[in-house]
Amino acid sequence: MIEEATEKISGYEIPECETLVEIVKKSLRTSDNIGIDRCMQCGACTASCPAARFTDYNPRQVVKRVMENDFSVIEDKIIWNCFYCYTCHLRCPRNNSPSQVVQVLRQLSINEGIGLDKIDMLFEYGNVFAEMGVSTLPPLYLQQMKNDFDKRWFEFKKNLDAVRSELELGPIKIRENGHHEIRIILEETGFFERIERLKKWQTQKRIQNKVAREMGNETYRTNPE
Amino acid sequence: MKHIEQIPNKGILLFKTCMVSNEYPGIESSSTYAFDRLDIDYFVSDEQSCCTGLGFYFDLFDQLSTTAIAARNFAIAKKNGYPNITTMCSTCYAINKKACSLLNKNEEVRTKINSIFKQAGFDDLIYEQNSLDQVDNFYHVVEIFLGKTKRIGALNRIDFSGVRVAAHHACHYYKIHYDDVIGNPENPQLIDTVAKSCGTDVVEWYEDRTLTCGAGFSQRHINRETSLKVTHAKLESLKSAGIDLMLHMCPNCQIQYDRYQPVIEKEFGTKYDFVHMHISQFVALALGADPDKVCGFGTHSVRLDDFLNSLK
Repeated sequence: MIEEATEKISGYEIPECETLVEIVKKSLRTSDNIGIDRCMQCGACTASCPAARFTDYNPRQVVKRVMENDFSVIEDKIIWNCFYCYTCHLRCPRNNSPSQVVQVLRQLSINEGIGLDKIDMLFEYGNVFAEMGVSTLPPLYLQQMKNDFDKRWFEFKKNLDAVRSELELGPIKIRENGHHEIRIILEETGFFERIERLKKWQTQKRIQNKVAREMGNETYRTNPE
Repeated sequence: MKHIEQIPNKGILLFKTCMVSNEYPGIESSSTYAFDRLDIDYFVSDEQSCCTGLGFYFDLFDQLSTTAIAARNFAIAKKNGYPNITTMCSTCYAINKKACSLLNKNEEVRTKINSIFKQAGFDDLIYEQNSLDQVDNFYHVVEIFLGKTKRIGALNRIDFSGVRVAAHHACHYYKIHYDDVIGNPENPQLIDTVAKSCGTDVVEWYEDRTLTCGAGFSQRHINRETSLKVTHAKLESLKSAGIDLMLHMCPNCQIQYDRYQPVIEKEFGTKYDFVHMHISQFVALALGADPDKVCGFGTHSVRLDDFLNSLK
Protein backbone atom coordinates (compact mmCIF):
# COMPACT_ATOMS: atom_id res chain seq x y z
CA MET A 1 0.00 0.00 0.00
CA ILE A 2 2.76 2.39 0.95
CA GLU A 3 4.73 1.64 -2.19
CA GLU A 4 1.55 2.03 -4.27
CA ALA A 5 0.90 5.48 -2.84
CA THR A 6 4.43 6.67 -3.32
CA GLU A 7 4.42 5.35 -6.85
CA LYS A 8 1.32 7.43 -7.54
CA ILE A 9 3.11 10.62 -6.53
CA SER A 10 6.30 9.63 -8.31
CA GLY A 11 4.27 8.87 -11.41
CA TYR A 12 3.11 12.47 -11.61
CA GLU A 13 6.43 14.02 -10.62
CA ILE A 14 8.69 11.54 -12.37
CA PRO A 15 6.76 9.66 -15.06
CA GLU A 16 8.26 6.41 -16.27
CA CYS A 17 10.09 7.26 -19.48
CA GLU A 18 13.17 6.13 -21.32
CA THR A 19 15.00 9.42 -21.40
CA LEU A 20 15.57 12.38 -19.11
CA VAL A 21 14.13 14.71 -21.74
CA GLU A 22 10.88 12.72 -21.82
CA ILE A 23 10.69 12.67 -18.01
CA VAL A 24 11.15 16.44 -17.95
CA LYS A 25 8.51 16.99 -20.61
CA LYS A 26 5.92 14.76 -18.95
CA SER A 27 6.51 15.75 -15.32
CA LEU A 28 3.68 17.68 -13.72
CA ARG A 29 6.28 20.13 -12.40
CA THR A 30 7.15 21.48 -15.84
CA SER A 31 5.16 23.66 -18.26
CA ASP A 32 3.13 21.80 -20.90
CA ASN A 33 5.06 23.46 -23.68
CA ILE A 34 8.54 23.35 -22.16
CA GLY A 35 11.04 23.81 -25.00
CA ILE A 36 13.82 21.50 -23.83
CA ASP A 37 13.93 19.86 -27.30
CA ARG A 38 14.52 23.28 -28.78
CA CYS A 39 17.44 24.29 -26.56
CA MET A 40 20.20 25.66 -28.83
CA GLN A 41 22.76 25.99 -26.03
CA CYS A 42 22.87 29.78 -26.44
CA GLY A 43 23.69 30.27 -22.76
CA ALA A 44 21.16 33.05 -22.10
CA CYS A 45 20.18 31.07 -19.00
CA THR A 46 23.71 30.96 -17.62
CA ALA A 47 24.32 34.60 -18.46
CA SER A 48 21.24 35.56 -16.41
CA CYS A 49 21.67 33.12 -13.54
CA PRO A 50 22.48 34.41 -10.03
CA ALA A 51 23.87 31.00 -9.02
CA ALA A 52 26.17 30.98 -12.08
CA ARG A 53 27.40 34.44 -11.12
CA PHE A 54 28.57 33.31 -7.70
CA THR A 55 29.19 29.55 -8.03
CA ASP A 56 30.17 26.90 -10.60
CA TYR A 57 26.51 26.20 -11.37
CA ASN A 58 25.82 26.36 -15.11
CA PRO A 59 22.20 25.84 -16.22
CA ARG A 60 23.19 25.57 -19.89
CA GLN A 61 25.52 22.69 -18.98
CA VAL A 62 22.85 21.01 -16.83
CA VAL A 63 20.37 21.14 -19.74
CA LYS A 64 23.05 19.76 -22.08
CA ARG A 65 23.58 16.78 -19.80
CA VAL A 66 19.83 16.19 -19.68
CA MET A 67 19.64 16.32 -23.48
CA GLU A 68 22.50 13.82 -23.64
CA ASN A 69 20.54 11.57 -21.25
CA ASP A 70 23.38 11.69 -18.74
CA PHE A 71 21.70 10.30 -15.62
CA SER A 72 24.80 11.05 -13.54
CA VAL A 73 23.58 14.66 -13.42
CA ILE A 74 21.18 13.71 -10.61
CA GLU A 75 24.16 12.74 -8.45
CA ASP A 76 25.92 16.03 -9.09
CA LYS A 77 25.58 18.29 -6.05
CA ILE A 78 25.67 21.32 -8.34
CA ILE A 79 21.94 20.91 -9.09
CA TRP A 80 21.31 22.02 -5.49
CA ASN A 81 22.64 25.50 -6.28
CA CYS A 82 19.63 26.76 -8.29
CA PHE A 83 17.65 29.58 -6.62
CA TYR A 84 14.38 28.77 -8.43
CA CYS A 85 14.24 32.46 -9.36
CA TYR A 86 13.06 31.57 -12.89
CA THR A 87 15.24 34.20 -14.58
CA CYS A 88 16.35 31.50 -17.06
CA HIS A 89 12.69 30.59 -17.59
CA LEU A 90 11.91 34.22 -18.44
CA ARG A 91 14.94 34.76 -20.67
CA CYS A 92 15.07 31.51 -22.69
CA PRO A 93 14.34 32.35 -26.35
CA ARG A 94 13.18 28.75 -26.96
CA ASN A 95 10.74 28.51 -24.07
CA ASN A 96 12.91 26.10 -22.15
CA SER A 97 13.02 26.34 -18.37
CA PRO A 98 16.26 25.17 -16.75
CA SER A 99 14.71 26.11 -13.40
CA GLN A 100 11.91 23.58 -13.94
CA VAL A 101 14.35 21.02 -15.36
CA VAL A 102 16.38 21.22 -12.14
CA GLN A 103 13.24 20.75 -10.06
CA VAL A 104 12.66 17.45 -11.85
CA LEU A 105 16.31 16.46 -11.45
CA ARG A 106 16.13 17.11 -7.71
CA GLN A 107 12.99 14.96 -7.48
CA LEU A 108 14.78 12.17 -9.35
CA SER A 109 17.70 12.61 -7.01
CA ILE A 110 15.47 12.44 -3.92
CA ASN A 111 13.70 9.36 -5.26
CA GLU A 112 17.09 7.68 -5.57
CA GLY A 113 17.89 8.53 -1.97
CA ILE A 114 20.50 11.07 -3.04
CA GLY A 115 20.66 14.51 -1.52
CA LEU A 116 18.20 13.72 1.28
CA ASP A 117 20.32 15.89 3.55
CA LYS A 118 19.12 18.89 1.52
CA ILE A 119 15.49 18.37 2.50
CA ASP A 120 15.51 16.34 5.72
CA MET A 121 15.09 19.50 7.81
CA LEU A 122 11.59 19.71 6.32
CA PHE A 123 10.35 16.23 7.10
CA GLU A 124 8.03 17.47 9.85
CA TYR A 125 6.72 20.31 7.69
CA GLY A 126 3.80 18.25 6.34
CA ASN A 127 2.53 17.37 9.81
CA VAL A 128 2.67 21.00 10.94
CA PHE A 129 0.93 22.07 7.75
CA ALA A 130 -1.83 19.49 8.22
CA GLU A 131 -2.29 20.56 11.85
CA MET A 132 -2.15 24.35 11.38
CA GLY A 133 -3.09 24.84 7.73
CA VAL A 134 -0.13 27.18 7.64
CA SER A 135 3.44 26.57 6.55
CA THR A 136 6.08 27.31 9.12
CA LEU A 137 9.82 27.44 8.74
CA PRO A 138 11.49 24.20 9.81
CA PRO A 139 13.21 24.19 13.23
CA LEU A 140 16.72 23.90 11.75
CA TYR A 141 16.06 26.84 9.47
CA LEU A 142 14.62 28.80 12.37
CA GLN A 143 17.68 27.94 14.43
CA GLN A 144 19.85 29.47 11.74
CA MET A 145 17.68 32.60 11.77
CA LYS A 146 17.95 32.71 15.55
CA ASN A 147 21.74 32.56 15.23
CA ASP A 148 21.71 35.24 12.51
CA PHE A 149 19.28 37.74 14.01
CA ASP A 150 19.30 39.82 17.14
CA LYS A 151 17.41 39.17 20.35
CA ARG A 152 14.61 41.53 19.31
CA TRP A 153 13.55 39.15 16.52
CA PHE A 154 13.43 36.20 18.90
CA GLU A 155 11.31 38.21 21.34
CA PHE A 156 8.95 39.12 18.48
CA LYS A 157 8.60 35.44 17.52
CA LYS A 158 7.81 34.53 21.13
CA ASN A 159 5.16 37.25 21.25
CA LEU A 160 3.73 36.67 17.79
CA ASP A 161 0.17 36.01 19.00
CA ALA A 162 0.15 39.24 21.02
CA VAL A 163 1.59 41.20 18.09
CA ARG A 164 -1.07 39.79 15.76
CA SER A 165 -3.77 40.59 18.26
CA GLU A 166 -2.58 44.22 18.50
CA LEU A 167 -2.81 44.39 14.70
CA GLU A 168 -6.38 43.06 15.03
CA LEU A 169 -5.53 39.86 13.18
CA GLY A 170 -7.04 36.50 14.02
CA PRO A 171 -5.19 33.33 14.99
CA ILE A 172 -2.67 31.87 12.55
CA LYS A 173 -4.17 28.38 12.71
CA ILE A 174 -7.03 27.82 10.29
CA ARG A 175 -10.54 27.14 11.61
CA GLU A 176 -11.07 23.52 12.54
CA ASN A 177 -13.71 22.14 10.23
CA GLY A 178 -14.33 18.93 12.11
CA HIS A 179 -12.97 16.49 9.57
CA HIS A 180 -9.33 17.45 9.10
CA GLU A 181 -9.65 18.05 5.40
CA ILE A 182 -6.02 18.90 4.81
CA ARG A 183 -4.66 15.81 6.53
CA ILE A 184 -7.05 13.56 4.63
CA ILE A 185 -6.19 15.21 1.30
CA LEU A 186 -2.47 14.77 1.90
CA GLU A 187 -2.96 11.17 3.01
CA GLU A 188 -4.91 10.40 -0.15
CA THR A 189 -2.41 12.02 -2.52
CA GLY A 190 0.30 9.83 -0.97
CA PHE A 191 2.21 12.77 0.51
CA PHE A 192 2.66 11.34 4.00
CA GLU A 193 3.63 7.87 2.80
CA ARG A 194 6.34 9.41 0.65
CA ILE A 195 7.72 11.39 3.58
CA GLU A 196 7.77 8.24 5.71
CA ARG A 197 9.74 6.46 3.00
CA LEU A 198 12.23 9.31 2.75
CA LYS A 199 12.62 9.38 6.53
CA LYS A 200 13.34 5.66 6.52
CA TRP A 201 15.96 6.08 3.83
CA GLN A 202 17.58 8.97 5.63
CA THR A 203 17.87 6.91 8.82
CA GLN A 204 19.43 4.07 6.83
CA LYS A 205 21.79 6.53 5.19
CA ARG A 206 22.94 7.86 8.54
CA ILE A 207 23.64 4.31 9.74
CA GLN A 208 25.49 3.48 6.50
CA ASN A 209 27.51 6.69 6.73
CA LYS A 210 28.42 5.96 10.33
CA VAL A 211 29.69 2.54 9.34
CA ALA A 212 31.42 3.98 6.25
CA ARG A 213 33.08 6.70 8.34
CA GLU A 214 34.40 4.06 10.68
CA MET A 215 35.76 2.27 7.62
CA GLY A 216 37.05 5.55 6.14
CA ASN A 217 34.64 5.84 3.20
CA GLU A 218 31.48 7.98 3.26
CA THR A 219 28.52 7.04 1.04
CA TYR A 220 26.15 9.38 -0.76
CA ARG A 221 23.47 7.19 -2.37
CA THR A 222 20.93 5.47 -0.11
CA ASN A 223 18.09 4.00 -2.14
CA PRO A 224 17.88 0.47 -0.81
CA GLU A 225 15.91 -0.81 -3.81
CA MET B 1 -0.39 40.36 -21.12
CA LYS B 2 -2.83 41.36 -18.40
CA HIS B 3 -4.26 44.88 -18.75
CA ILE B 4 -4.98 47.42 -16.08
CA GLU B 5 -8.66 47.51 -17.12
CA GLN B 6 -8.96 43.84 -16.11
CA ILE B 7 -8.12 44.49 -12.45
CA PRO B 8 -11.19 43.90 -10.29
CA ASN B 9 -12.19 45.89 -7.23
CA LYS B 10 -14.72 43.40 -5.92
CA GLY B 11 -15.01 39.71 -5.14
CA ILE B 12 -11.45 39.64 -3.80
CA LEU B 13 -10.28 36.88 -1.50
CA LEU B 14 -7.25 38.34 0.28
CA PHE B 15 -5.17 35.15 0.29
CA LYS B 16 -3.33 34.66 3.58
CA THR B 17 0.36 33.93 3.36
CA CYS B 18 2.53 31.93 5.75
CA MET B 19 5.48 34.31 5.73
CA VAL B 20 3.20 37.31 6.25
CA SER B 21 1.37 35.60 9.10
CA ASN B 22 4.59 34.46 10.77
CA GLU B 23 7.11 37.21 10.00
CA TYR B 24 5.40 40.43 8.92
CA PRO B 25 1.76 40.32 10.07
CA GLY B 26 1.62 44.09 9.46
CA ILE B 27 1.48 43.36 5.73
CA GLU B 28 -1.94 41.72 6.19
CA SER B 29 -3.33 44.46 8.45
CA SER B 30 -1.96 47.08 6.04
CA SER B 31 -3.63 45.35 3.08
CA THR B 32 -7.04 45.33 4.75
CA TYR B 33 -6.59 48.93 5.96
CA ALA B 34 -5.78 50.08 2.41
CA PHE B 35 -8.54 47.99 0.83
CA ASP B 36 -11.09 49.51 3.24
CA ARG B 37 -10.09 53.03 2.26
CA LEU B 38 -10.02 52.23 -1.45
CA ASP B 39 -13.52 50.69 -1.37
CA ILE B 40 -12.24 47.28 -2.40
CA ASP B 41 -14.77 44.52 -1.78
CA TYR B 42 -12.71 41.74 -0.14
CA PHE B 43 -12.93 38.79 2.21
CA VAL B 44 -10.41 37.09 4.51
CA SER B 45 -11.23 33.45 5.22
CA ASP B 46 -10.32 31.61 8.40
CA GLU B 47 -10.68 28.33 6.49
CA GLN B 48 -8.11 29.09 3.79
CA SER B 49 -4.82 27.25 4.15
CA CYS B 50 -1.37 28.16 2.92
CA CYS B 51 -0.51 27.46 -0.70
CA THR B 52 2.30 24.96 0.23
CA GLY B 53 4.73 27.04 -1.88
CA LEU B 54 7.43 27.00 0.76
CA GLY B 55 7.36 23.19 0.87
CA PHE B 56 7.02 22.94 -2.90
CA TYR B 57 10.10 25.03 -3.65
CA PHE B 58 12.03 23.30 -0.88
CA ASP B 59 11.53 20.20 -3.11
CA LEU B 60 9.41 18.46 -0.50
CA PHE B 61 5.84 19.02 -1.65
CA ASP B 62 4.80 17.39 -4.91
CA GLN B 63 2.70 19.07 -7.60
CA LEU B 64 -0.33 16.78 -7.12
CA SER B 65 -0.61 17.51 -3.38
CA THR B 66 -0.04 21.21 -3.96
CA THR B 67 -2.77 21.27 -6.60
CA ALA B 68 -5.22 19.40 -4.35
CA ILE B 69 -4.61 21.89 -1.52
CA ALA B 70 -5.13 24.74 -4.01
CA ALA B 71 -8.41 23.19 -5.20
CA ARG B 72 -9.64 23.21 -1.58
CA ASN B 73 -8.78 26.92 -1.29
CA PHE B 74 -10.45 27.65 -4.64
CA ALA B 75 -13.64 26.02 -3.34
CA ILE B 76 -13.52 28.28 -0.25
CA ALA B 77 -13.11 31.35 -2.47
CA LYS B 78 -16.04 30.38 -4.71
CA LYS B 79 -18.30 29.26 -1.85
CA ASN B 80 -17.95 32.68 -0.24
CA GLY B 81 -18.50 34.57 -3.48
CA TYR B 82 -14.95 35.96 -3.60
CA PRO B 83 -13.38 34.22 -6.61
CA ASN B 84 -10.65 36.80 -7.32
CA ILE B 85 -7.76 35.30 -5.38
CA THR B 86 -5.36 38.09 -4.47
CA THR B 87 -2.06 37.41 -2.79
CA MET B 88 0.44 39.41 -0.75
CA CYS B 89 3.20 37.00 -1.76
CA SER B 90 4.60 36.30 -5.21
CA THR B 91 5.04 32.58 -4.57
CA CYS B 92 1.39 32.17 -3.50
CA TYR B 93 0.48 33.97 -6.73
CA ALA B 94 2.54 31.65 -8.92
CA ILE B 95 1.57 28.45 -7.10
CA ASN B 96 -2.17 29.21 -7.29
CA LYS B 97 -2.04 30.14 -10.98
CA LYS B 98 -0.21 26.96 -11.91
CA ALA B 99 -2.62 24.85 -9.86
CA CYS B 100 -5.61 26.46 -11.54
CA SER B 101 -4.08 25.93 -14.95
CA LEU B 102 -3.54 22.23 -14.21
CA LEU B 103 -7.07 21.80 -12.88
CA ASN B 104 -8.48 23.39 -16.03
CA LYS B 105 -6.24 21.78 -18.62
CA ASN B 106 -5.12 18.42 -17.23
CA GLU B 107 -8.09 16.07 -17.09
CA GLU B 108 -6.14 13.30 -15.36
CA VAL B 109 -5.11 15.59 -12.52
CA ARG B 110 -8.58 17.10 -12.16
CA THR B 111 -10.22 13.67 -12.12
CA LYS B 112 -7.70 12.31 -9.63
CA ILE B 113 -8.15 15.24 -7.22
CA ASN B 114 -11.94 15.23 -7.55
CA SER B 115 -12.00 11.49 -6.88
CA ILE B 116 -10.02 12.09 -3.66
CA PHE B 117 -12.57 14.72 -2.61
CA LYS B 118 -15.51 12.49 -3.51
CA GLN B 119 -14.13 9.47 -1.71
CA ALA B 120 -13.50 11.52 1.42
CA GLY B 121 -17.00 12.97 1.33
CA PHE B 122 -15.72 16.46 0.48
CA ASP B 123 -18.21 16.99 -2.34
CA ASP B 124 -18.19 20.75 -1.75
CA LEU B 125 -14.52 20.85 -2.75
CA ILE B 126 -14.95 19.25 -6.18
CA TYR B 127 -13.41 21.42 -8.89
CA GLU B 128 -15.49 22.02 -12.00
CA GLN B 129 -13.37 22.64 -15.09
CA ASN B 130 -12.94 26.35 -15.89
CA SER B 131 -14.88 27.42 -12.80
CA LEU B 132 -11.90 29.71 -12.21
CA ASP B 133 -9.64 31.18 -14.86
CA GLN B 134 -5.86 31.03 -14.32
CA VAL B 135 -5.49 34.60 -15.61
CA ASP B 136 -8.69 36.45 -14.75
CA ASN B 137 -9.11 35.14 -11.18
CA PHE B 138 -5.57 35.56 -9.84
CA TYR B 139 -3.98 38.81 -8.72
CA HIS B 140 -1.29 40.24 -6.51
CA VAL B 141 -2.17 43.13 -4.17
CA VAL B 142 0.18 45.42 -6.11
CA GLU B 143 -2.06 44.95 -9.15
CA ILE B 144 -5.11 45.99 -7.13
CA PHE B 145 -3.23 49.11 -5.99
CA LEU B 146 -2.14 49.77 -9.58
CA GLY B 147 -5.81 49.94 -10.54
CA LYS B 148 -6.35 52.59 -7.84
CA THR B 149 -3.36 54.89 -8.24
CA LYS B 150 -5.46 58.01 -8.83
CA ARG B 151 -7.40 57.37 -5.66
CA ILE B 152 -4.26 56.53 -3.68
CA GLY B 153 -2.63 59.75 -4.89
CA ALA B 154 -5.71 61.76 -3.93
CA LEU B 155 -5.95 60.20 -0.46
CA ASN B 156 -2.22 60.30 0.28
CA ARG B 157 -1.56 62.15 3.53
CA ILE B 158 2.24 62.13 3.52
CA ASP B 159 4.67 64.36 1.69
CA PHE B 160 7.03 61.84 0.12
CA SER B 161 8.81 64.39 -2.05
CA GLY B 162 12.53 63.80 -2.07
CA VAL B 163 12.18 60.26 -0.72
CA ARG B 164 14.31 58.08 -2.99
CA VAL B 165 12.49 54.79 -3.58
CA ALA B 166 13.61 51.62 -5.38
CA ALA B 167 11.36 48.71 -6.30
CA HIS B 168 12.14 45.02 -6.03
CA HIS B 169 9.59 43.18 -8.16
CA ALA B 170 9.50 39.62 -6.89
CA CYS B 171 10.73 36.90 -9.27
CA HIS B 172 7.75 34.59 -8.76
CA TYR B 173 5.38 37.35 -9.82
CA TYR B 174 6.96 38.35 -13.13
CA LYS B 175 9.34 35.57 -14.18
CA ILE B 176 7.14 32.45 -13.87
CA HIS B 177 3.88 33.49 -15.55
CA TYR B 178 5.54 36.24 -17.58
CA ASP B 179 2.77 36.34 -20.16
CA ASP B 180 0.33 37.53 -17.49
CA VAL B 181 2.36 40.46 -16.14
CA ILE B 182 0.88 43.93 -16.42
CA GLY B 183 3.53 45.65 -18.55
CA ASN B 184 6.90 44.44 -19.72
CA PRO B 185 8.22 41.48 -17.68
CA GLU B 186 11.78 42.51 -18.52
CA ASN B 187 11.18 45.79 -16.71
CA PRO B 188 8.05 45.64 -14.54
CA GLN B 189 6.86 49.02 -13.26
CA LEU B 190 3.98 48.14 -10.96
CA ILE B 191 5.59 49.10 -7.65
CA ASP B 192 7.22 52.17 -9.24
CA THR B 193 3.87 53.42 -10.54
CA VAL B 194 2.12 53.04 -7.18
CA ALA B 195 5.04 54.73 -5.38
CA LYS B 196 5.04 57.60 -7.89
CA SER B 197 1.33 58.18 -7.31
CA CYS B 198 2.28 59.23 -3.76
CA GLY B 199 4.92 61.65 -4.95
CA THR B 200 8.06 59.67 -4.16
CA ASP B 201 11.27 60.12 -6.13
CA VAL B 202 11.48 56.70 -7.79
CA VAL B 203 14.84 55.39 -9.00
CA GLU B 204 13.96 54.29 -12.52
CA TRP B 205 16.79 51.80 -12.96
CA TYR B 206 19.59 50.50 -10.80
CA GLU B 207 22.20 47.89 -11.51
CA ASP B 208 20.95 44.42 -10.59
CA ARG B 209 17.34 45.59 -10.59
CA THR B 210 16.21 42.17 -11.87
CA LEU B 211 18.52 40.12 -9.63
CA THR B 212 16.75 37.71 -7.31
CA CYS B 213 16.67 38.54 -3.59
CA GLY B 214 18.98 35.64 -2.75
CA ALA B 215 16.64 33.69 -0.46
CA GLY B 216 16.31 30.89 -3.01
CA PHE B 217 14.16 28.83 -0.62
CA SER B 218 16.59 26.12 0.53
CA GLN B 219 19.58 28.22 -0.61
CA ARG B 220 19.47 30.40 2.49
CA HIS B 221 20.01 27.26 4.53
CA ILE B 222 22.07 24.88 2.39
CA ASN B 223 24.17 27.50 0.55
CA ARG B 224 24.05 30.39 3.02
CA GLU B 225 27.27 32.02 1.78
CA THR B 226 26.08 32.24 -1.84
CA SER B 227 22.63 33.33 -0.74
CA LEU B 228 24.08 36.28 1.17
CA LYS B 229 26.50 37.16 -1.66
CA VAL B 230 23.52 37.62 -4.00
CA THR B 231 21.69 39.81 -1.49
CA HIS B 232 24.86 41.78 -0.80
CA ALA B 233 25.33 42.46 -4.54
CA LYS B 234 21.87 43.96 -4.80
CA LEU B 235 22.17 45.96 -1.59
CA GLU B 236 25.44 47.42 -2.90
CA SER B 237 23.79 48.53 -6.14
CA LEU B 238 20.99 50.14 -4.13
CA LYS B 239 23.56 51.90 -1.97
CA SER B 240 25.14 53.31 -5.15
CA ALA B 241 21.71 54.49 -6.28
CA GLY B 242 21.37 56.42 -3.02
CA ILE B 243 17.94 55.21 -1.96
CA ASP B 244 16.00 55.81 1.25
CA LEU B 245 13.35 53.11 0.90
CA MET B 246 13.17 49.74 -0.84
CA LEU B 247 9.67 48.50 -1.66
CA HIS B 248 8.80 44.80 -1.82
CA MET B 249 5.88 42.65 -2.92
CA CYS B 250 6.90 39.34 -1.34
CA PRO B 251 7.47 38.56 2.35
CA ASN B 252 10.27 36.11 1.53
CA CYS B 253 12.19 38.86 -0.29
CA GLN B 254 11.43 41.17 2.62
CA ILE B 255 12.92 38.67 5.07
CA GLN B 256 16.01 38.42 2.90
CA TYR B 257 16.53 42.18 2.73
CA ASP B 258 15.13 43.47 6.00
CA ARG B 259 16.13 40.64 8.33
CA TYR B 260 19.47 39.97 6.62
CA GLN B 261 20.56 43.56 6.00
CA PRO B 262 22.08 43.85 9.52
CA VAL B 263 23.66 40.39 9.10
CA ILE B 264 25.25 41.43 5.79
CA GLU B 265 26.45 44.71 7.30
CA LYS B 266 28.24 42.70 9.96
CA GLU B 267 29.60 39.91 7.78
CA PHE B 268 30.61 42.05 4.77
CA GLY B 269 31.80 45.04 6.81
CA THR B 270 29.47 47.56 5.22
CA LYS B 271 26.63 49.88 6.19
CA TYR B 272 23.29 50.63 4.52
CA ASP B 273 21.20 53.68 5.14
CA PHE B 274 17.81 52.57 3.84
CA VAL B 275 14.71 50.81 5.10
CA HIS B 276 12.27 48.23 3.74
CA MET B 277 8.55 47.82 3.48
CA HIS B 278 5.96 45.87 1.53
CA ILE B 279 3.85 47.77 -1.01
CA SER B 280 0.78 47.19 1.20
CA GLN B 281 2.54 48.78 4.18
CA PHE B 282 3.58 51.71 1.99
CA VAL B 283 0.06 52.33 0.68
CA ALA B 284 -1.48 51.96 4.14
CA LEU B 285 1.06 54.43 5.56
CA ALA B 286 0.29 56.89 2.75
CA LEU B 287 -3.42 56.57 3.49
CA GLY B 288 -2.93 57.43 7.16
CA ALA B 289 -2.33 54.10 8.90
CA ASP B 290 -0.59 54.00 12.26
CA PRO B 291 2.99 52.82 11.68
CA ASP B 292 2.89 50.44 14.65
CA LYS B 293 -0.75 49.48 15.18
CA VAL B 294 -1.53 48.91 11.49
CA CYS B 295 1.70 48.69 9.50
CA GLY B 296 3.42 46.65 12.19
CA PHE B 297 6.83 48.22 11.54
CA GLY B 298 7.89 47.14 15.03
CA THR B 299 8.36 43.61 13.66
CA HIS B 300 11.02 44.75 11.17
CA SER B 301 14.72 44.16 11.76
CA VAL B 302 15.87 47.41 10.13
CA ARG B 303 14.29 50.03 12.33
CA LEU B 304 12.14 52.62 10.57
CA ASP B 305 11.97 55.23 13.35
CA ASP B 306 14.37 57.74 11.76
CA PHE B 307 12.83 57.28 8.31
CA LEU B 308 9.30 57.79 9.63
CA ASN B 309 10.36 60.82 11.67
CA SER B 310 11.83 62.37 8.53
CA LEU B 311 8.44 62.28 6.77
CA LYS B 312 6.18 65.30 6.96
